[in-house]
This record gives sequence, C-alpha cells and structure tokens, in this order.
Amino acid sequence: MKKIILPFLTAAMMSTAFAEVDAEIEGMEYEVRGDGTFLIGGPTYAFDRIMGAGGTFSESELWTPAKLRERLLFNRMSGTPSWTPMAPAVWFKTGNELGDLIYQNLLPSDEPNPANRTPYLEGGFTTPSFKGFWATARLFQDDHFCGKTAGPRKQFVGESFAHFGENIPLFSTAYGGLGYTNSMVNASLLVGSEYLWTYTATSRWIPVHYSPRIEARADVNNVSVTVAYEDGEYKDVRKKESGRRQEINGSIYYQCGEQCKRGMLQVSAGLSFRGVNDSGTVYTELENERVLWPFIELRAQPIPRLTADVMFGINERDWLVQDSVQFTSPTPKNMGIVAGVKNISGTRLNPLADTKEFMDNHEINLVADGQMTLIQGYAVFNDTLGNMSIGGRGSYWAEYGAETFDVEDFVTGAMTYRYGNVSRINSWIKGVTGELWFNAWYQDLFKFSAMGGFEHIDGLTKKLEVTPTEFFVSFGGDWLINKTFRIAHSLKYRSDARWNLRSPNPMVVKGDWYWDVTFEERIPKYGIIFSGTLLHALANEVIEVPNAGYDRLRLICLAKKTF
Amino acid sequence: MNKLKVLFVAMATMVCSALAQTDSTAVAMPAPAQTDSVKAPEDYAFEHFYISIEGGEIYPWGDLQDAVENTLYGGVGIRYSYWENADGFMTFNYSYFRPVPRTKIDGVHQFSGKVGLEFHIKYIKPLVIGAGFACNFTRADMEDGVDISFEKDLGGTLADNETEFGWFVRLKLPLFNYEKFRVGFNAQWEELWTLPKRSDMMTMGLYIEREIW
Repeated sequence: MKKIILPFLTAAMMSTAFAEVDAEIEGMEYEVRGDGTFLIGGPTYAFDRIMGAGGTFSESELWTPAKLRERLLFNRMSGTPSWTPMAPAVWFKTGNELGDLIYQNLLPSDEPNPANRTPYLEGGFTTPSFKGFWATARLFQDDHFCGKTAGPRKQFVGESFAHFGENIPLFSTAYGGLGYTNSMVNASLLVGSEYLWTYTATSRWIPVHYSPRIEARADVNNVSVTVAYEDGEYKDVRKKESGRRQEINGSIYYQCGEQCKRGMLQVSAGLSFRGVNDSGTVYTELENERVLWPFIELRAQPIPRLTADVMFGINERDWLVQDSVQFTSPTPKNMGIVAGVKNISGTRLNPLADTKEFMDNHEINLVADGQMTLIQGYAVFNDTLGNMSIGGRGSYWAEYGAETFDVEDFVTGAMTYRYGNVSRINSWIKGVTGELWFNAWYQDLFKFSAMGGFEHIDGLTKKLEVTPTEFFVSFGGDWLINKTFRIAHSLKYRSDARWNLRSPNPMVVKGDWYWDVTFEERIPKYGIIFSGTLLHALANEVIEVPNAGYDRLRLICLAKKTF
Repeated sequence: MNKLKVLFVAMATMVCSALAQTDSTAVAMPAPAQTDSVKAPEDYAFEHFYISIEGGEIYPWGDLQDAVENTLYGGVGIRYSYWENADGFMTFNYSYFRPVPRTKIDGVHQFSGKVGLEFHIKYIKPLVIGAGFACNFTRADMEDGVDISFEKDLGGTLADNETEFGWFVRLKLPLFNYEKFRVGFNAQWEELWTLPKRSDMMTMGLYIEREIW
C-alpha cells in the first residue's frame, strides 16, 4: 500500500523523529507536526502541507492507494472520523478547550461573558476474540473548533445536531458491529449513525446526517475489500431545503505479498468506486452519479540501490500518475545518502471527489480543464555518531497547472462565502526547500530532536489557495521513565501563512510558537493506560481557516484497559 | 481566613510532631512495595491496593474569595503501588459552593475527579508529595423557571453544565494506622485553567484508607 510513496517516505523517515505527542484523535496527527503548514479548521478539515513534500496542494487533497480506508470529505481524504475498528480494549476519553469561566463568572465584570469552551467525548470497547469472533462499539464526537461558527451553522440544522449536547460539533459518530479474525481473514461489519460537517469550495460548512452508515471490511490474504453504504440527509432549515443522498463507496485492492516482493517487478492493483443517488437539495453533484477508479502500482528494483515506483489510475474522465526513481548512494557505515526524483501528474488530485457544488443560484465547477504536473528532485543525508545523528534534506520542485479558484464574487455576512470555479494556474510555480535536523538519545529513556527548515516559492503565489509558511523550527523531547511513564513534548515555531482566495482581503495566519505535551502512565502488566495531553499551549488563539473556529489550548485525557 | 490559619497551624504542628518521631514505625507510612533488586520497575504496579474516604474544607484563594464561600467536601479514592517509591491514585469528590455576590443561582454543585502520582521521598518522610490533573464538572443549583442570561447574568454560564481541567499538588501526612486502616491529613493546592484568570483553591482534609491487598 505504501510502495508508491515509499521513496519519499524513506527520505522522510531519515529525517528527525518528532516528539511522540498524541493527537486528540486519529487522523489529526497534523496538529502535532511542526515541519510545514498545518492550518486547522476543525476535525473534518485542515490544510496540511509538509514542507518537504513540494507542490502547492495539501497532503489530504491528493488521493493515493494508502488512503483507501480514509473518508472522502468533499475533496479531501480524511483520517477523521475513522471507522477502523479499535484493538481489543475498553476506553474512555474526554477533553476540553481550556478557558471556561466556572467560578470566575461569579465575579462582577463589565465585559460580556466570553464564548463557551467546548469538550471532546469518547467511549467505546472492542471485546477480546472468542473463537475468532469479536464485537465493538464506539461513540465519539469532537466539539473543539466549533464554538465560533455554531450560531451560523445552527441556521442549517436547528438546535441540535449531534448524539450528545447542543454545541453543534463538526462531527459526532456512533457505531457498533461484529468482526471475525483468524490467521487468514480479518473481517468486520459496522453499523452506525453520524453527524458531519464538510468544508467546501465555497467556504460553507455543509451538514449531513448519515443514518444508517454501514461499513464492511474484509482482508483475505493479500486482498482487501471495503464497502460502505451511506444514507445521508441534508437540510437547510432556514431556507426550508432538504435532500437525500444514498451512496455506496469502497474499494477492492490486491497488494503485492511476501513472495511477490522477492521479484524484480512487483505489481499491486485495485479498484475504487462511488455511486450516488441524489434527491432534493444536496448541494454537490457527482457527474453521472458514479465513478470507477481502477489503478495499478508497479515497483521495479533492477539493482538493490535503485528503485522505481509508479502508480497509475485512469477512467473515462480523469487520470493520475505518481512516480518516482530513487538511488541510495554507497556510503561509509552509519551514513545514508539518498537522491531521487518524483513526479505527480493528473487531471485531478482526487478523481473520486464530487464534480460540482451549488450555492444559491450559482453552479461551481470543481473540475478544471487541462492537467497539473509536479516535478521534484531531492537529496537526503543522515549521519549517526554514537548516540547522535545529524541530517538534512534539500529539494527543488516545480508545478505547472496547479489548481486554484477563479473567484467571481464574495457573499459577506456572518460568514464570507465565494463563488466561481476551480481552475488552473497555467504557469510554473517553483520552490526550493532546505531542512536540517539533529537527534540525540540515551537508550530508551530519552530522545531529543531539533529541526529547522525553510522554503522559498516563486511564481503567481497570490493565486494559490494558501501561501505556505516560509520557515519553521521544532524541538522535541521524549522520556520513558522506568519503562512505564512517558513524557513527550514538542516546542515549535512556524512563520506566517496566508489564505489568498477565500475573502476579499487575504487572511494572514500569523506565525507563532506552539507547545504540546503528553503525560502517559502505563501499567503494562494489566494493560492499563492513563494519559493527559495538552495541545497548542503558548500560541495565541487564532482562526486558521476562513469561516472556522478558534484553535484553542485544549487538554485530552484517556483511560484505557487493553485486553 | 481565620479557619485557614488555624488549619495551617494545626498542620504545621502535626508536621513537626511527625518529623520528631525517631521510630518511623510509629507513623503510619504508606507501604511502598517490597524492595527486590531483580524486580523490573513495571512489576510493582498494583502490588498493593487501597480504597479511601476523605472529607474536609475547601478555601478559595485570591480573587476567588469574592466569588464563592469556603465549603465542605467529601469523596472517595483509590491508591495503588506503581513504582518502588511511587503510587498512583484517583479521587472523586463532591462539594457545594455558595456564591458570595447576590445572584440568580443558589449555589454550584461540583464533582471533581483527580488522577495523579505520589512519591515517597526519604528526605521528607513521612510526608508524601503528589501531583496530577483535575477535571471539575459544575452545574448551578437554582429554582425552576429562573430566567438567567448566559451572556449577562453573574453565574449565567453555570446554568448549563460546565467542565474545566486543571492541575494540583498535594502533601499527605499519615497520622496513625490500625491493622489495615490508615488515617492521615491531606493538604492540596489546586488550579483550574479558567478565564479570565486561573482559579486557585486550597483544600484541607482528613482521610481514612483501607488496604485491600
């Protein structure tokens, strides 16, 4: 699954090991990264661009076979909310954006009460296997980032749009199901209900209530099958609009197995698909109400030091190719030097996404004519000296036909919307990146990492959706005391980033320092874990995505018993 | 504040008397796990397990004294051996705060859950120092039908459920033991991460603990 991006991942893995601070939920790992531009609108939307990846788009906009079991939320692949069954355990997790008033609200003040802070809630279990059979259930919803926009969003859905509470969170998911696992098969069937808000090209948050949502998975030897059925209800209470989308989506995927990997040419292949049946007003459209996306992956290794990968997918509307060639240089022991070239070309970054959006009387075309091409050359070195290592990575990239949005007009009010069409920047945008890192460690007790990087971009940067951050520094320290108590923390700074096209005047997200920390008490003999994670301390509480809520300091606590 | 001073003096007296003990067995020590040179650090977990009840008084600190009055609290807890010289613990307490200013709410129910570690440091024994995270859930107590504004009224935000996290440090002084029972004094300083200022409180209480294994 990872082969197509392996050369680049290999390079990334040679970079610094980031502090192992826990994200608030799976799929939001970008919130604890420091090596790029990570602008969070909420658990269902983020602009997440790793600096060394090159190009003008964010990671989640690019479809790859590695994301087959992630969720397609409008035009991005998202790890949140995940329907991947959890390992056998029972757990409870809660958190809050810090800064409620509590007893401070009993002190007279001339200022109006500040906005309410909102929580995170989760509970669930997965049973141990009984003759291969197991059961699971999970309720989880993340109310963070939702306070500022709850008012305007309530106009769509009324007072309540979640399994719990009235905060109008950006997602609220509950599912239960059964599974079967043995040495050959791993299969599961989950049924549930989900409230979800997706962020679209017009900058609207569009609500959908899936009831039911059903997802079945089966892994048999080297073949993985996923099928999901979603019965989605759409509504805008204020405009008295309603609609329904019944959707079937999924994939079948053959991965090159152990025996196949011994050959000089390794082949994997699959088919991803979506089919929808729309009635009423659902705000987006998938052309022909279906998409079939066959793809093939090839890896050739003619000599051990040279690896070539290609992923190619095509259908009647789109094509996408991602390929790379990577050479590992002969070096002295404890040193590694890798040089490579990668290319991404295609008509769409995500060929499975919807093709049109509708806002009032406007039709927004989400498919641009022509194609994009990204070429990147990179070199990575890493040198280990005892308990220390140093490394660096440099790259040069150029992208032609980058996707942008031709804004025809804005609609301003409580929120700012836009309409127009997705189009292309038909000129070259070029970038040069450089990163350096230093790691030190002592057995499994302590790890330290420091990293810094810069990027300079030339071209029509004002036509980019986001002008990314130009430099960052990041420090991380992890302790594992008595092999049972883990403290992981990271301190990082990233420079300004800018949204160019979602408001009449560009929106600058100011550079800032961020501090994240996890305390984790482990009792391995009984499989018990207690943890507390503070996210985005030190930073000013700012809005990082147009029409989104504040990125606030938040604390997440977890109690878990594994079986 | 007079009560607080009295308690401080009482605590200092007890600390001095406890430190003056030459025979440490005269003071009930929380029992750390048995020393065993071949034992791995992770093997101490849950060698001992205790349950407890606790009660005492909570004193708002600083500006918070103008918001709520001193109040009593009561609750339950567990403690378990974690490392050779450290124990893990959890406590759950209930208290009812009466507001100082005249407001539309009669009082505030508070449920506080705390998770932490405490350390048996030989230089300060028999005192045991601990720290951890706190999670406090609050809800206003008021008559049915009271019209209260979330934005404008004093305590208006408490009319809905409110939760806030914080951290705390505590100092435990074991006083005596009898078979499987221990009695001791607990002093705790707690900070909730509220806005516009942090909310600080001091807690003084007595606990009775029973060893289960």
